[in-house]
This record gives sequence, structure tokens and C-alpha cells, in this order.
Amino acid sequence: MAAVVVARPALRPTPRARDEEVLVWPDLVFVEFVSALLFTVALFFLSFAMNAPLLDEANANVTNDPAKAPWYLLNLQELLLHMNPALAGIIVPTVWLILLGAFPYFDQSTAGQGRWFADANSIRNTVVSFIVGFFGTLALILWNSGKVALWLKDWFGISGGGQLAFLERSAALKDPSVVPWPDWASSIPYLWFNLKILDEGPGAGVTTFQKIDLPTLLVDIGIPAGFMVGLTCLLVYALWRIGWVLSRRDALITLMSGFVGVFLMLTIIGTAFRGPGQDLIWPWDLRTLEGIPGQE
Amino acid sequence: MALEQPAQPTLGDRIYDKLFHNYLWRSIFRTGYPNTPRNQMLVVATNVFLHLHPTRIHRTHVKITHTYCLGGLTFFMFLGLTVTGILLMFYYVPSVDRAYLDIQNIQTNVQFGQLMRNMHRWMAHAMVILVFLHMLRVFYTGAYKPPREFNWVVGVVLLVLTFLLSFTGYLLPWDQLAFWAITVGTNIAGSAPVLGPKTKFWLLGGFEVGPDALIRFYTLHVIGLPLLAAIFMAVHFWRIRRDGGLARPL
Repeated sequence: MAAVVVARPALRPTPRARDEEVLVWPDLVFVEFVSALLFTVALFFLSFAMNAPLLDEANANVTNDPAKAPWYLLNLQELLLHMNPALAGIIVPTVWLILLGAFPYFDQSTAGQGRWFADANSIRNTVVSFIVGFFGTLALILWNSGKVALWLKDWFGISGGGQLAFLERSAALKDPSVVPWPDWASSIPYLWFNLKILDEGPGAGVTTFQKIDLPTLLVDIGIPAGFMVGLTCLLVYALWRIGWVLSRRDALITLMSGFVGVFLMLTIIGTAFRGPGQDLIWPWDLRTLEGIPGQE
Repeated sequence: MALEQPAQPTLGDRIYDKLFHNYLWRSIFRTGYPNTPRNQMLVVATNVFLHLHPTRIHRTHVKITHTYCLGGLTFFMFLGLTVTGILLMFYYVPSVDRAYLDIQNIQTNVQFGQLMRNMHRWMAHAMVILVFLHMLRVFYTGAYKPPREFNWVVGVVLLVLTFLLSFTGYLLPWDQLAFWAITVGTNIAGSAPVLGPKTKFWLLGGFEVGPDALIRFYTLHVIGLPLLAAIFMAVHFWRIRRDGGLARPL
């Protein structure tokens, strides 16, 4: 009599999802507990070793020089030195935060999620964009603070001077001796009435919206905004042309890594390299100033 | 053949039984000691704090290099800041006359006062750094991708709230560092087109940093912003569970 053969599946050909799972207690809870413990101990040691800074009592009549914001805002404070305050302090961070929030709506593919640097080009895009952002920002700061021009003059005897002063710092473009601005350029009417809104307090004056100061607009808003948007687009375009940026995810990686580079450089310069009068100085000349943890 | 008798309970067993199997203990902890898979799952499912977690998790997620615990540590900093912050609140009065003296008092006369202040300060810095690194981790592992889009947006809001929490706390010691940092910071806010001056006035309760600014920053720092952050954190953690746990390759 033929044996009854019962068809059985092979020994579980594909592992079930559950086989890949571990129990939260103890596997995850243990890791969480240890990391919390490590941080508690490390912060205790730090707190024993280093006191929180406390300077003299607040005095509105004695100005701190340089007066610095908390370190995570020093990147914005650094930007303020180079452009219109509204652009640097409000528009740039607001636009960036909105862009950041919009990331997942721009890149809707689910490919490569849950793994570090899953895409083929992601590591080199990250590294290159970070380096471009980091050192590009340094170059722009040095250029706009006149340091590059100073070194060129000191070391090589090359001086733009006169008509070429705008190559040393963009603010020189406002100077009538560099660019022969006609008189009308600094007050071009664009509204046929003088709009006055939200008159706020002494010194603030009336915000008027009737005329444009073209040289100021160009130097304080046009050039910086052009650089920020233009260089970003140029970076993404260049990486696309050489075939590194192939997807929206790649473009976002370029954008984010470039941002991290810029953010880091601005924070470092603002924290450690800005002295009295917000002049560029070396960090070791800064030692008596506030804002450095432990300095009291 | 003699039947095998169960061993007599030792003294240790009896004590253990009295301690952990009594009526009171069982009224608090519904599950036995978590040394079997059943109890280990029950302890996570029935504990209000642990049940933020599922009972099981994919094995890749307990690898330390996957998340580096950055989000959890940020939350842990928030908890630590709440504890040290409450301790500091016992001694601190947010008035221009007293604020600075109170800080000096905390540092010199209060037992462990200096330690509490230091902990609060360094934890605040750590939280800003950790939340930033957590954002980078989520980004570079592609964990913002569908279906987790909205949780990324909630995360961006929490990033801003963390900055604001730290910024409002910066004024409270009422020293020169605090005063001028907040002057610079609120000047940045004041430079916004059209609404800037109004925003700055609303933040400071006046045209410059003074008593009204101190009480506003204090209120925002100790109740307004923490409440808001707690609400967004609740949504953030809830959405992690609803969206299927941590992101992993499909």
C-alpha cells in the first residue's frame, strides 16, 4: 500500500517577520537605561568640573562688547554682519525651516528608508556638499570682511583699491566713488502714496514703503540673496551634471549636507572668531570675553 | 518506587514570596517578574511609561548604531531639565531686584545649588545638540519618508521649541551675558519686515530688556513652552507607533 504522502511546506522558506523581532523588555529597555545612565553620569562629572557662567549683574548702561546671542543663534548673528537684518535674522531662517518641513513632501519615494546612506551616491554627495558649504562660507566671510584683500595687499602687493574696491567687500558698491550712482537711484518711488504702518516706538520711526534705495537694496539684499540661492542651485546643478544627483533624495542630501556645513562654519566663526566690534580675531585673543563656558 | 517529592522551599524562596507575592505588591504590579517572554511582554504592555513602546521590536532597531538613542536622549534631557528646573524654581524669583541675587544665593548658600544650576545649564546645551543630531540621524537614514512625513514636520516644530526653551532660559540669571544675549536675540526678531517691531515689543513687554521681559521669559520658560513641547512630544511619540515604529527597509 502506497504510503500517504502529505505535502508539507519546506521548513519555513522565508523567515516570518516575527522571527526578526526581539522583545522590548529586556533588549531595548536595557539599551535605553544604559544610555540614560551614561549621560547622567557624564553630565554630573561635567557639572562638577565646570561651572555655569555668571557675569556681573545686568546693566543696560554697560554694553558688552562683543554682545553675543546664545551660541545656537550666533550663525544668524554672523549672517547679520553681511546683509540686511530682516533677510539674515528672519527671512533666511524662516524660509529654511519651511523648506526643512517640506522635505518629505518633495521626496515622496519610500526607497532606501531606514538605512544609513542607502543610495549609491549619498556618501560622496554628503561629503562634497558639506565641504563646499563649510569652506565656501569661510571664503565668503573672509572676502566680505576685507581680509582677502588685506592679505593680497600684504603678501603680494596687489590692491584693488578705487574702482575695484567692490571686489574686496560688497558694501563698497554703495560708495558713489566706486559706482557712479545717479541721484535718483537711492530713492526710486514704487508706490504713489506714502504707506505708513505699525509705527513702533522711539527710534524705530515710521516704516515707509514708498521708495527704494537701489544701491542699499542691491548690496544688503540682492547680492547676499543671490549668492545664497545661486550657489545652492549651482551646487545641485553641478552634482547633477556629473551624474551624482540622480533623484530628489540626492538633491535633498546635497541641500541638507551643504546646510550643515554652512551652519557649522557660521557658528564656529560667530562663537570663536568674533571679537570687540564684531571684528575677526583669533580665538586665543578672545579669552577674557563672555560666552565661553567656564569663563566667569 | 518512591515518588519524587518537590524540594522544600528555602528561606530565600520564602522571603521572596512574602515580598513579591503579597496582596499589596500584586495590587500595584499586575505581572510577575519579567523573566519569561509572557511576563516581559506584559510588563511593557501594562506599564503606563513603558507602553510608549510596542512589546516587540525589529532586531535592527536595538542596534546602537541605528539610532544612537538620540531622540530618546533628547527626551531624557527634557525630563532632567524639568527636575533640575523645578529645584531651581524653589529659590528663584523672577524680579529684577532679586533674580541675580537668587542665582548667587543658589550657587553659594543652597546645598547642591551650584550642581543643580550646572546640571540645568549643561543639560540645556546637550538637549540642543542632541535634538540637532537626532534630526540628522532621521534625515540620513531616510526615516522621514512616507508614511512618516507629518512626524518629520512635528519634529521641526520641536526643534524650534527646543531653541525657544533654551533662549527664554538664557535671560533668567539676569547677568550681563544674559542681558546682552537677549538684547541681540530680540533685536534679530525686531528686524522682521513689517511685524518685527510689534513682535519685539510683544516678546519684551516694552522697548528694551527690563522687568517685563524677565517675567515674560520666565513664564514662557517654566510653563508656556514646556507645555507646548510636551503636547508636541506626545504627538511625536504617538505617531512613531501609529506609523509603524521606526523606519526600516521595506
